[in-house]
Amino acid sequence: MKTESNLERVLESGNFAVTAELGPPKSADPEVVKRKARLIKGYADAFNVTDGQTAVVRMASWAACLIQKGEGLEPVVQMTCRDRNRIALQMDVLGAAALGMNNVLCLSGDHMSFGNHPEAKGVYDIDSVQFVKIVKDMRDEKKFQCGEEMKVEPRLFIGAAANPFAAPFEYRPYRLAEKVAAGADFIQTQMVYNVPKFREYMSKVSGMGLDEKVYILAGVGPIKSLGAARYMAANVPGMDVPDKIVDRMKKTPKEKRADEGIKICTEIIQQMREIPGINGVHIMAIEWEEAVPKIVEGAGLDLERNLT
Amino acid sequence: MIGQTQKPLEEILGYLQGKEKVVLVGCGGCATVFHTGGEPEVKEMADTLSKHGKNILATVAPPFGEFTCYAPWSKERLSKYRQEIKECDAILMLSCGDGLQVVRELIIEEEFGLQKPIYPATNPIGHMGGGPSLFKEKCQQCGECELGRLAGICPFTQCPKGFLNGPCGGVTKDGKCEVDPERDCAWVMIYERLKAFGEFDRLREMREPKDWSKMQRPRKIEVAPLSLE
Repeated sequence: MKTESNLERVLESGNFAVTAELGPPKSADPEVVKRKARLIKGYADAFNVTDGQTAVVRMASWAACLIQKGEGLEPVVQMTCRDRNRIALQMDVLGAAALGMNNVLCLSGDHMSFGNHPEAKGVYDIDSVQFVKIVKDMRDEKKFQCGEEMKVEPRLFIGAAANPFAAPFEYRPYRLAEKVAAGADFIQTQMVYNVPKFREYMSKVSGMGLDEKVYILAGVGPIKSLGAARYMAANVPGMDVPDKIVDRMKKTPKEKRADEGIKICTEIIQQMREIPGINGVHIMAIEWEEAVPKIVEGAGLDLERNLT
Repeated sequence: MIGQTQKPLEEILGYLQGKEKVVLVGCGGCATVFHTGGEPEVKEMADTLSKHGKNILATVAPPFGEFTCYAPWSKERLSKYRQEIKECDAILMLSCGDGLQVVRELIIEEEFGLQKPIYPATNPIGHMGGGPSLFKEKCQQCGECELGRLAGICPFTQCPKGFLNGPCGGVTKDGKCEVDPERDCAWVMIYERLKAFGEFDRLREMREPKDWSKMQRPRKIEVAPLSLE
């Protein structure tokens, strides 16, 4: 064990891990975080809190993680390179570890132009691969990016993202290899809807031996409505939602579509469990955290090991 | 070249409020190419400002090729208008910010020993190449050119996130950039080119964080003066 992370413990033990995403509020209200935490507590091994997702100002990930930790959840702090340079990122890595966080997900971050402050100056001093390497060197070499040493290192289980579906498809396993070489311990992927394509990606990943070096959690998410399905299929770059999923939502009566979305998600989880090299799932129920317990129960994922 | 667009007339008139006697200075370099400060634009601006009641003491429009940001040239040209510059209430520069500041600092202040209000008539929008009509930003003068390792395509400039280690997850199905779907993803282009050259393995080397201190502004450089004889 490199860290005291519950996620690392579960993955090391060989259990199929579950992580879930919690979106922090666009306000200073801690009750929102607590309410969501109570909704999903016990249904995952660790809980990511997004860091200004879609470049919209929300409560800082580390702060919401701290609140969630107070509720007894194991947080995964997400950090993006969009808003902080290497100095600020390393400061937050130290701070998060000092606050008792055990997991970090290193991301580049959605571009400012998609958010509610499109006139903001993006930082992007470093990229996500470099960020992974920096956290790894801080933890394992006790060194800052500049080479200076520290006395107490941040013992963080290091995560990175991967999108198997974005172009160029045949390059994506190599992109993953870069993150693994940089020092990622676990990967959380973009939401999987096109299972055959994901299998093809994973077979390349396994062929390269990457699944031996990193834990891979397949991203999944419930679709709430036909509109959401159509939007994701047509308008979200790097997302691959096959027509048959959109059709299935369309054929379902309107009032039953949310349940159908959850059902599709549980079916995809079942398929993920059969794919060699997949060690767990990361459930992203965006602004629909209530769906997480239903998905976990529906997929028959035994989480008794985790109940705290 | 320095890409540039003309400022709205209202903004220019705002600067010149209360200034009656004006000297206009264009540029025979980029501002001529971008139609913001060549001979025709300087003349047109003089006509427009006259209609708004300004007394144009001089219009300085260097011929094509004569860059206003090159101090020896603008010194020589503006010396012919020393009297008008002395008399004017304001100078309007139809050039980029380099041209304006070279004229202000090295000529008006140092050479002529004058203090004069000086205003821009253009908005510079970046160092770019191309033409004769379409120009694109390709280089941001980072001080440490990476093109040799990146198939001749600069991701700091072409990728909105400035990635150094491959494309982000937002590339569209047809290889376009999520931030501007009109534009090809820089990393897809780098990938395709390196693959074609049989140099794909280059992409697999992890590139360390960039030394941005080489872009610490303001930068300067001293060189042997160019002989123009």
